[in-house]
Amino acid sequence: MDYLVAVLLPQLLHGLVFGAALGLLALGLTVIFGLLGVMNFAHGELYMLGAYAGIVVVGVTHSFWVALIVAPLLVGVIGAVTEVATLRPLYRREPLYGLILTFGLALAFREAVRQIFGGDMRRILPPIPGSTPLLGMTYPNYRLFLLAISSVLLLAIWLFFTKTRAGIVVRAAVQDAEMLDGLGVDVPRVFTLTFAGAAALAAVAGLLLAPIFTVYPQMGVEMILLAFIVVILGGMGSITGSVVAAFIIGIAQSLLTLWMNPQRVAIAIFGIMIVVLVVRPRGLFGREGVLE
Amino acid sequence: MRAKTLVPVVLALAVIALGAAPASAQKVVKIGDLGSKVGVFEGYGKYQTMAIQMAVEELNAKGGVLGHKIEIISEDDETKPAPAVRKAEKLILQDDVKLLIGAVSSGSTLAVMDVTKKHKVIHWNSVSCAEFMRTTKFHKYYFSNQPDSRMQATGLAKYIVDKMGKKVYIFYTDYAMGQSDGRQFKTALEKLGGDVVGVAGAPLDTKDFSPWFGAINQANPDVLFVAFAGTDSLRLMTQLHSFGMTRKYKLAGIDCFLLQQDLPAIAEPMEGFVQLAHFSPYNQDKNMQAFNARFKKRFGTDANIMAGAYDAVLFWAAAAEKVGSFDADRIAEAQEGMCLDNTHIGRQCIRKEDHQVVMDMHLYQVKGGKNLPIATIAGKDSIGEPMVGKDPVEGFTWEIKKKN
Amino acid sequence: MSNRTLAGAAVALAALAAVPALPFMSKYYLLLAFDALLFGAIAMSLDLLIGYTGLVSFGHAAFFGLGAYATAVCLERKIVSLWICLAAAVVVVGLYALLVSYFATARRGIYFALLTLIFAEVVYTFFRYTQTFGGSDGIQGVPAAELAPGVALDTPLKNYYLVLVFLALAWLTCRTLVGSHFGRVLVAIRENEDRARFLGYNVTRYKMGVCLVSALLTGVAGALYPGRSGFATPDLMLWTVSGEFIIMVMIGGLGTLVGPVIGGVFFVVLQEKVSSYVDWYFIVIGLVLVLIVLFMPKGLLGFRRVQGFAQWRSGQ
Repeated sequence: MDYLVAVLLPQLLHGLVFGAALGLLALGLTVIFGLLGVMNFAHGELYMLGAYAGIVVVGVTHSFWVALIVAPLLVGVIGAVTEVATLRPLYRREPLYGLILTFGLALAFREAVRQIFGGDMRRILPPIPGSTPLLGMTYPNYRLFLLAISSVLLLAIWLFFTKTRAGIVVRAAVQDAEMLDGLGVDVPRVFTLTFAGAAALAAVAGLLLAPIFTVYPQMGVEMILLAFIVVILGGMGSITGSVVAAFIIGIAQSLLTLWMNPQRVAIAIFGIMIVVLVVRPRGLFGREGVLE
Repeated sequence: MRAKTLVPVVLALAVIALGAAPASAQKVVKIGDLGSKVGVFEGYGKYQTMAIQMAVEELNAKGGVLGHKIEIISEDDETKPAPAVRKAEKLILQDDVKLLIGAVSSGSTLAVMDVTKKHKVIHWNSVSCAEFMRTTKFHKYYFSNQPDSRMQATGLAKYIVDKMGKKVYIFYTDYAMGQSDGRQFKTALEKLGGDVVGVAGAPLDTKDFSPWFGAINQANPDVLFVAFAGTDSLRLMTQLHSFGMTRKYKLAGIDCFLLQQDLPAIAEPMEGFVQLAHFSPYNQDKNMQAFNARFKKRFGTDANIMAGAYDAVLFWAAAAEKVGSFDADRIAEAQEGMCLDNTHIGRQCIRKEDHQVVMDMHLYQVKGGKNLPIATIAGKDSIGEPMVGKDPVEGFTWEIKKKN
Repeated sequence: MSNRTLAGAAVALAALAAVPALPFMSKYYLLLAFDALLFGAIAMSLDLLIGYTGLVSFGHAAFFGLGAYATAVCLERKIVSLWICLAAAVVVVGLYALLVSYFATARRGIYFALLTLIFAEVVYTFFRYTQTFGGSDGIQGVPAAELAPGVALDTPLKNYYLVLVFLALAWLTCRTLVGSHFGRVLVAIRENEDRARFLGYNVTRYKMGVCLVSALLTGVAGALYPGRSGFATPDLMLWTVSGEFIIMVMIGGLGTLVGPVIGGVFFVVLQEKVSSYVDWYFIVIGLVLVLIVLFMPKGLLGFRRVQGFAQWRSGQ
C-alpha cells in the first residue's frame, strides 16, 4: 500500500501529464494523416514554432495567457500557408512523397528558427508557480494545470468532431473526400482549415510543454517520433485512437521506469511499436486496409 | 546566435590582421578555439572565446608572440564528439593552428585529444573534468588547467561528510564527465565514512528529470550530489525546485554545474548549493578581483570559471617565447614545470608528470545568486598523485565503470 | 552493360583518381573528398531501394552506423586487419538487415518507411545508452586499419583511394544488379507490385534481396568511416541522417545510380563549405527538397534512364 501511494501513483500522474500533452500533438498528426494521407514530418517543427511564437508574444505582452491564444493562431496561419503552397499539389500522389516533402519542410523550418532565434536554449517561466502537496509528495502546480487544460482541450476537440456539423464534415472527409465533394462541400477549404487547426494544436502543445522542457530548435526532432508512435499505435487516422494511445504511451513510459532504467524504456516503447506494426499495422482503432 | 557573435569576432581580427599586415608586415600565428556554441554546454563556449580573446588582445598589444600577431579561429562543436573531431581537423589541417583550446564536454575533449596527438598540436583544456585526460588518454601535447573529478572529489567530499550530512545520493549525467564525477565522489565519500544511499545517471540532454525523482525520494538522503552541467543543470534545478526537493535536501555539485551568469535567474532553487571551484567573481582574492575588473571592462560582464582559457594562451605564449619557436615538441617540453605569475588567479605552475596546473581551490556556497567563498583548499592537497598511464577506473566495483 | 557505359565509368574513375593531385588539395580537402565519395556511395545504394524498387527506407543511417561501430569495436580491441573489420561489419549489418527487411518488406509504402525508421531508432537508442559501446560519446580514438600486416591506412590519401575503390566496386555491383533480370523485376515491382506477384514472382523475396544488397553496401561504407574519422558515435545513426541520405538521392535523381553519387558529393561539399559560420544552407536544402518533390518527383537527373515496365516486357 505504501508502495502504491508513494511510488506508483506519482509515476502514474507523471504519465498522465505527459500523455495529455502528447495527445494534443498526436491528434493533429492523425487528422492530417486521415485527411490528406500525409505523415507530417514537419509536425514536430510546428510544435517547436508554437514555443518560439510563444516566446515572442510573451516578450511583447508579458503574458503567458495571451501567448497561449495568439501563438497557436500564428502557427495556424503558417500551417495554412504551408498546406496551400506545398501539400495541396500532392493530394493524389503517393503518400511517400508527403513524407519526403514534409521532411524538407521540417529542415527548412528548423534552420530558419535557428537563424532567427539562435541555437541556444530559451526558457519560458511557468505562469503558475508553486506546488501542492499531493499523494505524499510535492507536485508542481503547473504540471497539474497542464494535465487539466490538455484534458479539457482533448474533450473539446472530441465534442467538436462528434457534435458539431463542421466536425462531422471533417470526419466525413477523412472517410471519403470525393463523396463530400459531390455533396457540394468546398473540400480544399476543409483541408486547409483542418491543417491549420492541427498546426495550432501542435503549437499549443509546444507552448504548454515549454516551461518544463525548455525551448530550442531541435525540440521537434525529439518529439515527432514519439508522436508518430502514438499515431501508429492508435491507428493512423483514428481520432479516438490517438488520444487513447497518447495516454497509454505516456503512462507506459512513466511506469516502466519503475522497473527498468529510464534509458531502456525508450527501446521498450520502440519494441512495442514494431510488434504493433508487424502484427496489427492498423493499430488499436484504425480502419482496416488504410495504406497497408 | 553563433554566426552573429562569431563572424564579427573573426572578421574584426581578420581586418586587424589584414590592416596591420601592409604597415608592419607582421606575421600571423593562428590559435584554435573549439567550444560549444549550441547544445547543452553552449554558455561555456561563449565564455571560453571571451577569455581567449582577452589574452590574445593583451598579448597582441605587447607585440604578439615571437613577433607574430595572434589570430583566433573559433569553431563550434555542438557539444558532440563527432563535430568536435571534424572541427579540430579543420582547425589543424586547414587553418594550421599552433594551439588548440577546447573542447568543453569531456566526451568531445577525449575525442579531440586523439586528433591533437596524431597531428602533434599543443592542446589546452580549461573545463573538461573526466579523469582519463591526465591518466590513460594523456599525451605529450595535452595540458589542463581544469580541476578534474579526482581533484574536486577530494576537497568537496570532506565538506559534505563533515558539514552537510552522511547520507548522500549521487545523481550524474551519463557520459564521460558525469560518470567520472560520480565514481570519484562515491569513492571519496565512502573513504570518509559517508553513506552513498543511491546512484543514478540520466543521459546528456535530458528534458524531464521527474522520472528519476521517485527513486531519490525513496532513498531519502541528507545530501543530493548532482554532477550535471549547462542547460541540463538549469532544467534539473528548476524541476527539483518545483517538486519541492531543493528544500528537502541539501545540494552540492561539481564546479561547472552552472556558470555564475546563470545563477541570478534561478537564485531561489540554487540557494545554499555548495561546489568546489577555482574562481568566482565574488571571491575577494586580489588576483581574482583584478582579473575580473579587466574582464568586466572589456566584455561588460563578470568572468567565470571559463577564465582558465585565458591562462592557457598565456602559458603557451610564454613557452613559445622561451624556446623561440612554435614547434609543438619544444613548447610542450618548455611548458612542463613552467610557472607564471600573471594568470587569472595569480601564480600557478604546471606539474611536469601529468601536465596538470596545480590550482588552489575554493569551496563556494550560493547565496542570493552569488558564489560566495566559504573555505580554501591548497592546490597540492587536492591534486593527488600523478597517474599517467594508470587506469583511474581500476578498483571501482560499481556500475559507472566505463572504460576509455 | 554497354561499352559506352564502361568507358564513361573508366574516365570518371581516372578523373577521381587524379583529384588528390590537384594543386589546392590539402589534407583537409582530402578528408572532405573521402566523405563526399562515401556518402555518394551510400546514396547510390539507397537508390536501389527508392529509385528502382520504390521502397523508401528511412532507416539507412542504422546500416551505416552499425558498420561504423563494427569496425570501431574491432579496431578498439586492436584487431586492425581491414578485412576482419569489413567481415565483422558484413555479418552484423547483414543479420540486422535480414531482420529489418523480413518485417519491413511485408508492408508497403509508408509502413515500410515507418518500420525501417523505428528499427533504426531502436539501434540508435541502444548504442546511445549502452556504456559498453561508449554511450553518447561513442567509441573514439581508434587506430588506423591495416590493409595487410604492416600496411596501415593511416593517411587521408590512402583512405581516399580506399573509398574510391569501394565506390567503383559498389557502382559495378549496383549496375550489374539493375541490368540483370533481378533488376528488371525490381522495376516491375515498383511499377505494379500486384502485377509482378500475379506474374509469379515471389515479390517479398525480391524485395528482401535488394534490401540486403543496399544495406550491406551502406554497412561496408560505414565500416570504412572510422578509418578516416577515428570514431563511431550514435549521432551517425540518428533518423535525421537517414533523411539526409534520402535528400542526396532526391537531389541526384531517382533510378540513375550516378545521380545520387553526385547528390551525395554536392551535399557534403555544400555542408562543409558554409558550415563553419552559417547554416542557412539547410534552409536551402530543405526548400530544394520541397521543390524537387513538387516539380521533379524523379529528382534532378531522374528524367533519363529509368527502365520502365514496358521496356522490361519488350525485352523479355
